[in-house]
Amino acid sequence: MKSRRLKAHTIRQLEGSLFMAPWILGFLIFAAYPIVFSFVMSLFHVELRAGGLDMVWFGLENYHRILFENQNLLYNDLFPFLRKSLIMIPIIIVFSLMVSILLNQKFFGRTFFRSVFFIPVILSSGSVIQQLTFQGQGTLGFLEQLNITVVVDNYLPSSWSTPIISILESFVLVLWYSGVEILIFLAGRQTISASIYEAARIDGASPWESFWKITLPAMIPFILLNIIYCLVDLFTYPDNPLISRILTNQYDGYGINSAIIWIYFFIILMFLAVIFAVFSMVTRRYQPSVNK
Amino acid sequence: MIKNDLETVPTIRQKSLKSFNYKHWLTRLHHLILGKEADQGLIFKLVVYLILFGVAYIYLRPLIYMAVTMVKDSRDLLDPTVIWVPMRLYWGNLQTAWEALTYPSALLKSMYISSIGAIAQVVACSIAGYGFARLQFPLKKFWFVCLLLAFIIPPQLLALPDYLLFNEFKLIDTIWPFLVPAFFGHGLRGALFVIIFRQFFSTQPVALEEAARIDGAGVFRIFFRVMLPLAIPAVVVVFLFSFVWHWNDTFLQALYMGNANQIMPLSIGVNFIGTYLAMIRESGVGESALFSSLMEEPINMAACFLTFIPLIILYVYAQKWFIEGIERTGIVE
Repeated sequence: MKSRRLKAHTIRQLEGSLFMAPWILGFLIFAAYPIVFSFVMSLFHVELRAGGLDMVWFGLENYHRILFENQNLLYNDLFPFLRKSLIMIPIIIVFSLMVSILLNQKFFGRTFFRSVFFIPVILSSGSVIQQLTFQGQGTLGFLEQLNITVVVDNYLPSSWSTPIISILESFVLVLWYSGVEILIFLAGRQTISASIYEAARIDGASPWESFWKITLPAMIPFILLNIIYCLVDLFTYPDNPLISRILTNQYDGYGINSAIIWIYFFIILMFLAVIFAVFSMVTRRYQPSVNK
Repeated sequence: MIKNDLETVPTIRQKSLKSFNYKHWLTRLHHLILGKEADQGLIFKLVVYLILFGVAYIYLRPLIYMAVTMVKDSRDLLDPTVIWVPMRLYWGNLQTAWEALTYPSALLKSMYISSIGAIAQVVACSIAGYGFARLQFPLKKFWFVCLLLAFIIPPQLLALPDYLLFNEFKLIDTIWPFLVPAFFGHGLRGALFVIIFRQFFSTQPVALEEAARIDGAGVFRIFFRVMLPLAIPAVVVVFLFSFVWHWNDTFLQALYMGNANQIMPLSIGVNFIGTYLAMIRESGVGESALFSSLMEEPINMAACFLTFIPLIILYVYAQKWFIEGIERTGIVE
């Protein structure tokens, strides 16, 4: 009896392994190998030649240069970008949550608005949108008319006012980034059953209260997911200053570029760790209401 | 008892009609403006529509701008009174962009990359996603961490080693660098698709598979005959995402297919035209620079239009499924 069960167990394991074999093989070839490769490269001084790679052992010299010697390599692009994304991510999350709740209601013209609001999903990742911002279509006309940029400039230190102004100037673009986030929230909103809202209404809760007491706690996993998605998306977007600098600036050598990306990758990981820590605290607070 | 009730009801109503008539109208007005429920009143609706129209305007404006600028001729462009409505329709820009992109062959190339890549990713990622959701295999937790790692790692980190790998096999300037990883469930955001499928399959009831297993179906049959047909909403979503992202991708396409001597796929073709026209304009002298500074924008817009119109057509056809699919996948929980 026991041996038979053991056999069934191994068969299941075999089946599962067979299913997963292509993905695991792919992971080893297209992810694990490049990861190791680029890490090794970051320890060398590398030049690309027609015949192949020209490598000189550098040790941690690349990292030392990026972190402590040459400000221009990482910090000059990194800090403005980090400040900008610290402002952008909350805007994107709040905006897409609001829009998805609006789109989830029944109202006249819902199909039309839904199709319009999904346009960013098909457009925002492309070069088309880059062209459009290039032509100045990313701005809101009234900002210039109201001189908001001057006000912001006067009242905030320049290290913060610059990213705020650049966001205001590309505010439309912030909205364009939120296409996928709206979709995720909309999908998440479907998981809350209508009967909970009905029960709350019978008990006399106003829509305002039921938003804070029902919708928001139930959406917390999706907010987490969206923040992660948003973060990863912003950080790996080819348009982002660091990435585009690394892509265009090849003369420093591949070694130092991959060292930059590795540091960058650790920054992403740190961000994610902070987000996870905050969320585990928040969910613990909401635990009684989140448990279904 | 009954008699008593019959007597009291009319008296109450009469009384209320007499003395509270104006209050009655006030409450009706109140209901009309603020609503019986807080989300039904006129003011609430007004605010909602204001937001919706505002955002819809923001999303549509660049597209309208693109469509309008595209058909302007040089006289309309120089005329400051012409902003949104051109005096006449001029198709020359569209023609220039068409020729510059070598549109039919570039379109075909983009179609190849996107459709085959998307199909490959749907198949491979659904298999891997099902494995992560339901099957047992050694080191499952470890591989799941690897999946998350693959999701968050910047693709730029992997670009050069992959390039060298494909260069080794002489696959640069072909579409294989997109397809080979896709067949293994990787490639452009492959990890995200695996996660979507994993989430979808883990929300499905286990009873179905158990029933199929008791009826003697093997794991492959269960997957292809029972689970995959159930996953149509997820398939639609992943296919559309994958298609669109392959179509719009500039980074990998520039890396693998950026050879200027060959026909470029649309997304990098657009960028190429943009930089080319800017280069002529900045070079500064002569008739071509003047022409370029004036016609740069309309030609760029025409190229953009040609690039994304196939996506719009696809989206119009697929959007009903797409929206339903999004609602039913419950993408991640």
